[in-house]
Amino acid sequence: MANRREMVLLLPGQGAQHVRMAAGLYGSEPVFTAAMDEVLDAIDTFAAGEGKRLRADWLTDRPSVDLDHVTRSQPLLFAVDLALGRLVLSWGGRPDALLGHSIGELAAAVLAGVFTLRGATRLVCDRIRSLAAGPPGGMLAVAATQEEVKPFLGGDVVVGAVNAPRQTVLAGPDPALEVTRKELAEHAFTCRRLPSLSPFHSPALAPAVAGSERVIAALPIAPPELVLQSCYTARPLRYEDVSDPGYWARQPVAPVLFWPALDALLAGRDTVVVDAGPGQTLAQLARRHPAVRAGRSTVVPMLPARPGPPEQDRAFVAAARESLAEHDLIGAQSR
Amino acid sequence: MSELTLSRLVDILRECAGEDEAVAAEGQDIGDVELEYLGYDSLAVMEAASRVKREYGVELPDDALAEIRTLNRFVGAVNEALASAAAQRSA
Repeated sequence: MANRREMVLLLPGQGAQHVRMAAGLYGSEPVFTAAMDEVLDAIDTFAAGEGKRLRADWLTDRPSVDLDHVTRSQPLLFAVDLALGRLVLSWGGRPDALLGHSIGELAAAVLAGVFTLRGATRLVCDRIRSLAAGPPGGMLAVAATQEEVKPFLGGDVVVGAVNAPRQTVLAGPDPALEVTRKELAEHAFTCRRLPSLSPFHSPALAPAVAGSERVIAALPIAPPELVLQSCYTARPLRYEDVSDPGYWARQPVAPVLFWPALDALLAGRDTVVVDAGPGQTLAQLARRHPAVRAGRSTVVPMLPARPGPPEQDRAFVAAARESLAEHDLIGAQSR
Repeated sequence: MSELTLSRLVDILRECAGEDEAVAAEGQDIGDVELEYLGYDSLAVMEAASRVKREYGVELPDDALAEIRTLNRFVGAVNEALASAAAQRSA
């Protein structure tokens, strides 16, 4: 066996959600199930009955509230990312770094021991409550570099995420974002609205999230026990960073630097990149990285790229476990 | 107009994603690998379709595009559209 590869866990955010994401694991994978229930039960203590409604909307083909809505996508992605991460840890995996995209970074923070599950769930609930009161808007993925989109920014439309060299996501309230989309289309840029009904990572949300620092400052916090690569600074977070409530409070208005953060992790290291979330959104981006193209690093998805039957979720998790064992990142499965 | 080839489509996608190196697949025909395993999401595929339209003059409708899962299917759909456009011109 060649040198041990390092394990990087990716945890996706808004855009990765889909109806019944990871639902095939619920009731079938005990560690995953317990983590989902722990988050949903905690939500019930902060907003009576909301955890039960969330569980019902998660497990049904016909959610009563659109899964793209902030009140569904955000808590469910947080819970699914966290539950998949706990599953990897339960296999004996010890990630060399965690990189969460947007809400995924909160799940990563729990896995790294920075927040308690309950503390982070409190933060998620507070964020959702304030975002739901924010202006309507969305996110627009553009097949272009940051430089190329610059002339089209303005008003309240900003770069919300740098996902890949030629995948820049704009964010802003409507109708401004829709106007920008038309201008970009007229200039022959390929654009796609992401499944989001809020202008995540744009200043339009600043008034809505004002005051969240107070809630965050009251949460118990500890230094990261695992490397927590920030998708906002593209560097590992130190205790000074995670203990600053402002760092977490700014997230809904700050741009996500996913590609620079990933690039810093993969540069010069042989890595197994695990996508611990639904939809393979981050896996698809990581597969474009030169380190993966060259075969030095490899990508292991824990869930299918498209929604499918419950057995498919279980088959992907089983294959991911096997793949991590082959790379000596976890022990072989005892049967 | 000449037909779209697999190697040209691989190049187009590389340009769309802003990559230096083209994608390669070990031990299997790259044309049959599902696009998500090549790292190409729907935005990259839409961008590739728009470049193909500029270069080859044929447009794949959005619903047809959404059904395309592999590079070979993409090449096939474009060349069928080219052939039917040529047939219409000669009719």
